[in-house]
Amino acid sequence: MKRIALFCLCAAALATNTCRSAKNDAGKLTVGVAFETLQTEYWVAGFEAIKAELAKRNIIALEAISDSDANRQLQQVQNFVTLGVDGIILVPKDAKTSIPAIRAANKAGIPIVLFNRVAERAGVDFVGVQADNFALAKGTVEFMIEQARQTGSPHKALVVLGDLGDLNAIGRRDGFEAAIENHRDIIEVVARVPSEWNQEKAQAGVVNALQAHPDISFLFTSSDFLLPSIVSALKASGKFHRIGEPGHVILGGFDGDATAWSLMQDGYLDATGVQDVYFEAEASVQALIDSLEGRDVPELIRDPGFVIHQGNMHDLADRMWGAVISRR
Amino acid sequence: MTQTQSTRRSVRILRRIVASEYLVLFLCLAWFAVLAPVAPGFATPRNLTNILAALLPLLVVATGQTMVLITGGIDLSVTSIIALASVAGSALVTGAGGLLDASPLAVPAGILTMLAVGAGVGLLNGTCVAILRMPPFMVTLATMMFFSGLAIWSTQSRSIHDLPPGLLLAGGNVWISAAVALTVALAAHLVLRRTLLGRWIHAAGQNPKAALVSGVPLQRTLILSYLICGLAAGVAALLITGRLETGSPVHGRSQLLDIIGAVVIGGTSLYGGRGAVAWTAGGVLFLTLIDNSLNLLSLSHFAIMMVKGAVILFAAFLDTLRSRLTTGT
Repeated sequence: MKRIALFCLCAAALATNTCRSAKNDAGKLTVGVAFETLQTEYWVAGFEAIKAELAKRNIIALEAISDSDANRQLQQVQNFVTLGVDGIILVPKDAKTSIPAIRAANKAGIPIVLFNRVAERAGVDFVGVQADNFALAKGTVEFMIEQARQTGSPHKALVVLGDLGDLNAIGRRDGFEAAIENHRDIIEVVARVPSEWNQEKAQAGVVNALQAHPDISFLFTSSDFLLPSIVSALKASGKFHRIGEPGHVILGGFDGDATAWSLMQDGYLDATGVQDVYFEAEASVQALIDSLEGRDVPELIRDPGFVIHQGNMHDLADRMWGAVISRR
Repeated sequence: MTQTQSTRRSVRILRRIVASEYLVLFLCLAWFAVLAPVAPGFATPRNLTNILAALLPLLVVATGQTMVLITGGIDLSVTSIIALASVAGSALVTGAGGLLDASPLAVPAGILTMLAVGAGVGLLNGTCVAILRMPPFMVTLATMMFFSGLAIWSTQSRSIHDLPPGLLLAGGNVWISAAVALTVALAAHLVLRRTLLGRWIHAAGQNPKAALVSGVPLQRTLILSYLICGLAAGVAALLITGRLETGSPVHGRSQLLDIIGAVVIGGTSLYGGRGAVAWTAGGVLFLTLIDNSLNLLSLSHFAIMMVKGAVILFAAFLDTLRSRLTTGT
């Protein structure tokens, strides 16, 4: 047994001496891409869009997914630092727990771009690329209100909230509330369902709300990935009807995923606020390159996004990432 | 040498390797030797520090889990203890409206709260298992759900920041973390190897009825093992909160497989009666090496999950094989 141990120790020592550097010989740039999760279509689409953008520019992508674990995400960023990457694109776990990871990149002098979510600027430097959650949610809900006004009767509304530890979820909630604020005459919010970005919780919450308020006729979800749960709850309550049919619940969402596209095509979804994943991916990579080349980069790059609805869906489908995925 | 003799010799060597206390250590060295030349930066001093920082909270919580597994039980609630202890201690001392904000007692009170929450939940688990004779799996599954829900509900999913620097020191500095983790591991090792309680814990796992007949205070032993496990999770909460500078109701949420996997890979038996803190330390090191090296190889998340799952399954298989070898069945 001692001989085996001795052999292993020698091998380890040899390996230590021969270990190679992360920098590749061809001198290509290397970027670490660390995502918090790939559990929804949006994140998968974003991840693929970034990798495609990096490949297009002949940049090597290293990938890491932390599975919603901030501690693991910190380790992954530290690994990127160890590897000596040229830049990091990070989807932070939330606004606060990712600060040590950003600080680790700052300390190593590696530029870091936060994709789609931003952290608090607690003494750390980063470039944020983020959809204007507030404006996009507000625009979507305002379109829904227009539809509601056309029915000529008041509506009772339900909003499905995200994880309120996530600044994106807070922006969307605030956008919803701001849109409703000036239209209290026609919209009464009777239920605010917290989902914590969890399908089961959303489904249970919407079912309960529809039981308590069977006359709900206006529903906005903070993310399209919750739509399958919401559709299931609407079906169970006998309230899943196409636009124009009696009993249709005015339905709106946020993200622009494949489910939203499918529901829009089938005439069930009135509108959704689309985050322009391709814009965000391109802007993230460009920001890293600009930082590396010493150009000025704004602290926050806004993805304006757009509201897609029955009236413009065919014109904007090519820019809606969910539609692009569906067509593939 | 005949073929039969050669086969017998091979089987004997294989048995010795499988039954060896140092199996996981050999696996660590072999993994390191194989991966160091191919995983970029794996053997650099900076990465070795990263590995150390990453394994410390896992070592602490897995040490507690070892105690419970030796008794033949299991504690699934450790991840929710980490979450609850983290938010309870942080909420008390946060500069954003904590009860003890700016108080000189903030740091000790925050630390004690985290430890008390861990010990409290451990005591509840132990009482349910030992006195009410409820199955450990069900008890700790239920407490995991309850306390995880409580942590999320009490914070409304929000992380707690603006914590006093003293509270962050234990987790924020890798060498202080190492000192804390090694103290916990050494204390648990001494308890298991050198004290009466350690012998009772082993006896409770080997044969509870025989232990009871032999005068082992079975209920007290089980309660203490769950209490120590909860306390260790409280210490892990302190380290993780300090490392991430934030109290969060989702800290540790995805760690359960790593915690139980590390203990089992180390060689502590899932059937109870056999285990050691030193083995667990080996399991923690092995799992952390796997995670770190595959990450440096930039393998996809799904590939890493598959490799880790396969390694843990292999460890469980080895555990079964060891049990058969030692009992001769």
